[in-house]
Amino acid sequence: MSDVARILNDIGRGDARAADELLPLVYEELRHLAAAKMALETPGQTLQPTALVHEAWLRLTGDENRRWNDRTHFFAAAAEAMRRILVDNARRKRAQRHGGRLVRVELDNANLATPSDDQVLAVNEALEKFAARNKQTAELVKLRYFVGLTLEEAAEVQGISATTAKRRWAYARAWLFQEIRAQRS
Amino acid sequence: MNASNSEETVFGAALRLAPAERANYLDQACGGDAALRQRVEGLLNAYQQAENFLETPAAPTLPLARTAWVPLAEKAGDKIGRYKLLQQIGEGGCGVVYMAEQEEPVRRRVALKVIKLGMDTKQVIARFEAERQALAMMDHPNIAKVFDAGATETGRPYFVMELVRGVKITDYCDEKKLPIRQRLDLFIQVCQAIQHAHQKGVIHRDIKPSNILVTVNDGVPVPKVIDFGIAKATGGQRLTDKTVFTAFEQFIGTPAYMSPEQAVITSLDIDTRSDIYALGVLLYELLTGQTPFDSKQLLAVGLDEMRRTIREQEPERPSTRLSTLADDKLSTTAQRRGLDSPKFISELRGDLDCVVMKALEKDRARRYETANGLAMDIQHHLNNEPVVARPPSNLYRFQKLVRRNKLAFAAATAVAAALLIGFGVSTWMFFRERAARREQVRLREFAEANEKKARLEATRSRRLTGLLKDTLRDFMRHEGFYFASTEEALVAASDHIETELQAPEMAGEFENDLKADFEINLGALSLRRRLEGLMEVHNYAEVDKVLQDVSVQESASQARNAPVLQVRATFQARRGRFREAARDISKLIEIDRKDFTYYYVLAPLSAANGDLPGYRQLCKEMLARFGGTKDPSVAERAAKACSIVPPLESDLNRIAQLAELAVTGKEVGDNNLPWWQFAEGLVEYRRKHYESAAGWMQKALIPIPFRYSVDNYRFCPAYMVLAMTNYRLGQVDSARAAFAKGVELSERTLPDFGSEDLGVHWYDVLIAHTLMLEAKGLLEEKTAAQTETLLQHALMLEAKGLLQGKAEKTAETK
Repeated sequence: MSDVARILNDIGRGDARAADELLPLVYEELRHLAAAKMALETPGQTLQPTALVHEAWLRLTGDENRRWNDRTHFFAAAAEAMRRILVDNARRKRAQRHGGRLVRVELDNANLATPSDDQVLAVNEALEKFAARNKQTAELVKLRYFVGLTLEEAAEVQGISATTAKRRWAYARAWLFQEIRAQRS
Repeated sequence: MNASNSEETVFGAALRLAPAERANYLDQACGGDAALRQRVEGLLNAYQQAENFLETPAAPTLPLARTAWVPLAEKAGDKIGRYKLLQQIGEGGCGVVYMAEQEEPVRRRVALKVIKLGMDTKQVIARFEAERQALAMMDHPNIAKVFDAGATETGRPYFVMELVRGVKITDYCDEKKLPIRQRLDLFIQVCQAIQHAHQKGVIHRDIKPSNILVTVNDGVPVPKVIDFGIAKATGGQRLTDKTVFTAFEQFIGTPAYMSPEQAVITSLDIDTRSDIYALGVLLYELLTGQTPFDSKQLLAVGLDEMRRTIREQEPERPSTRLSTLADDKLSTTAQRRGLDSPKFISELRGDLDCVVMKALEKDRARRYETANGLAMDIQHHLNNEPVVARPPSNLYRFQKLVRRNKLAFAAATAVAAALLIGFGVSTWMFFRERAARREQVRLREFAEANEKKARLEATRSRRLTGLLKDTLRDFMRHEGFYFASTEEALVAASDHIETELQAPEMAGEFENDLKADFEINLGALSLRRRLEGLMEVHNYAEVDKVLQDVSVQESASQARNAPVLQVRATFQARRGRFREAARDISKLIEIDRKDFTYYYVLAPLSAANGDLPGYRQLCKEMLARFGGTKDPSVAERAAKACSIVPPLESDLNRIAQLAELAVTGKEVGDNNLPWWQFAEGLVEYRRKHYESAAGWMQKALIPIPFRYSVDNYRFCPAYMVLAMTNYRLGQVDSARAAFAKGVELSERTLPDFGSEDLGVHWYDVLIAHTLMLEAKGLLEEKTAAQTETLLQHALMLEAKGLLQGKAEKTAETK
């Protein structure tokens, strides 16, 4: 049994400490996967976070038919890992913009539809506050915003109904919007 | 969580309605709760304006550039918090170490360790905070101090430590070609450092050569143990294929230093004896240049086999190990110790073999029980005395041997005992002071007795006999926790009598008494360890089961039940079962009506139970018994305990006198002064001296350096008293502001009142919440708008049956 599968079993059995172990593994796996892809593909190409996370899931658990709550824990860890990667990335770019270090900027060919770094950082900050009062909904936001799952996919992963997901999503959007606006004013 | 749930529900329902129907719906759904309504309206408004906000994921596609996937890293010149990084001085599997400069409050160089990505920063810091108290109490020349912890801008946890400029102990010994004896001298100092930490309740968990650096002061080598508290904060190492194998290139040596109990996957109970094992591995390596199991071989066989080896396979004795080495390797190793090969092997054979193997026992009960025990045995070897580890031994010879060794056990400081009992922040300080005071009194009494009579006569006097017994009881109660066997404790206790009171002939007389005491203490200790382990992993069901199964033998002498009752009471309270906790403490009072601690701990429990008659009766008794105390720390606790809810008019004067004694008895500059000032302020509020109360509370709101995490346990109740005081003075706005501040701080930093574990500082949490409810009630006389979160607290209390009387009232007003 792979490490991740074992940890998921431990979590399933209620071993709270196991959850701590999951994140570093998933984080590293995502980075390794991305690095492997980079070696193969031409520079300037992009990859989809959703696809990346799905692939990590298959590789790490080696089994598509695990219980849904395994998937919940795994995707929660993956979403957290993606959040860190993206927030790190945004911070780095901002530091460079503010006359930080002179390094070769080989970052992105930024797609204009992509939210700005400032938005990513602002959402991240507000989300931390939100998570303190409503952890599960915050997880939903991470899955949707940082991994790029559709609302239906996120609902499935979390094991909640689409209606519930929709209500929570609307609430979170309104709450976060209000929070960010308040911070800026 | 419920607060935002109801908000979410109302919001969700309103959203489904046509805009025109919403106002009606909100009237109905929010009832009189104007705050809720306002929030929901705000959210609906925000929702309209948010349009497509968040609908585009942060990264529909990710750039394939390499840098995007490399975590941000710190470098020299960067600032982290108030520290400026000067240069990188080390790197390991777990993080990077920098030399850094701190500018405030003191200018000094420190070592700053940034933990690698992939750990949950909040949890790491929370775990560090939990141990901060204990870490702060460590003060030993062979321990590098840990100053601070925090998160970097990139979200990684970091630790700030005393900067140690030294080399790994194994490298130092080899470079200097230190002979065995000098290696043992260094090792003994390491043991003493670890012993000190264990006495303060800190387990290192990651002892290995790279965590023990040797510096040279005036030509004298001094080993320093670094990284205390970090292994625990970062969750310790749990063996998984990934963590071991990815970390291994940088981390050679760690699996070799892992104790059998750490190698068990689901191992929860790491204790001081895991450190003893690692010390054994270190000794093995200092002596032979090898670890008992070779790291590369351990790794080569795969994870499961590695675990099995560590758990089951007996390592070779050091001398045997040497004789299996290739000739050239053996002679190099010998030369590094200034020896030739045959002499080298014979030096290790016998005593040192036995000492090392005893430290490496698979069954931790068979290891040395303390680091001191290990150090002492090495000292025996150096003094050419028989070593304990060498069979056969009997108690008599054992005692004789140990007695010859004048190892001074410090008098019962009791600091550690308070940590063990865990009655809360203020109790912890109380124990420490009381112990110091008692020690003085005892020594003075003894000196007086000594003057009057010849020593022999004095030992016969009943007074001194009683004194001796008390001394020993105290010793066993506090220090006894650190001995795992009756024998060792008895030896230590006998030594204690000899060194402290110079009355060797008294020792034997109390051995039977002590033996019984000790076994009870040991039982309580293991119960506590088990419960703490379970709490730490949030296995509350099991905690409750264990608590239920605790048997207190009614038939046995009541005093024998005390340690177990203390433990049970503590954990019942942490679980929020105040009634059960109060029952146990009441029993403890019956057992020992002279122990002030019990009265003072019972007070907030009775208050939280809504048992006002019981509370007032308790205060009466407390004041009758301890009202005349001259001890400022008792005075302060009594004054505070009697003022948690408004005291009886007739008791007020006495309470005021106590509070007065507490504050005037304190020296300015005393670190704990703000706690004292809080008590004085609370009492002044009860006496309706509002101006004065406000003044005291302002003082209580000043942070205590290096105790920041504990400050909140004082700030929250202080804001509540300040809110009530301002309200009484007619300053309603500042009253509300103080109240809101206290609530916010409490929600952010204190355990939630309905949570599964109120934490080790449950005592202070109880006081904070009781005062919060009182303040809420007072402020609401005028303000109809209820703060929803507060209502929540009240509801939770009601749900727990804590406010029986008030439950109906609230139901009516709804």
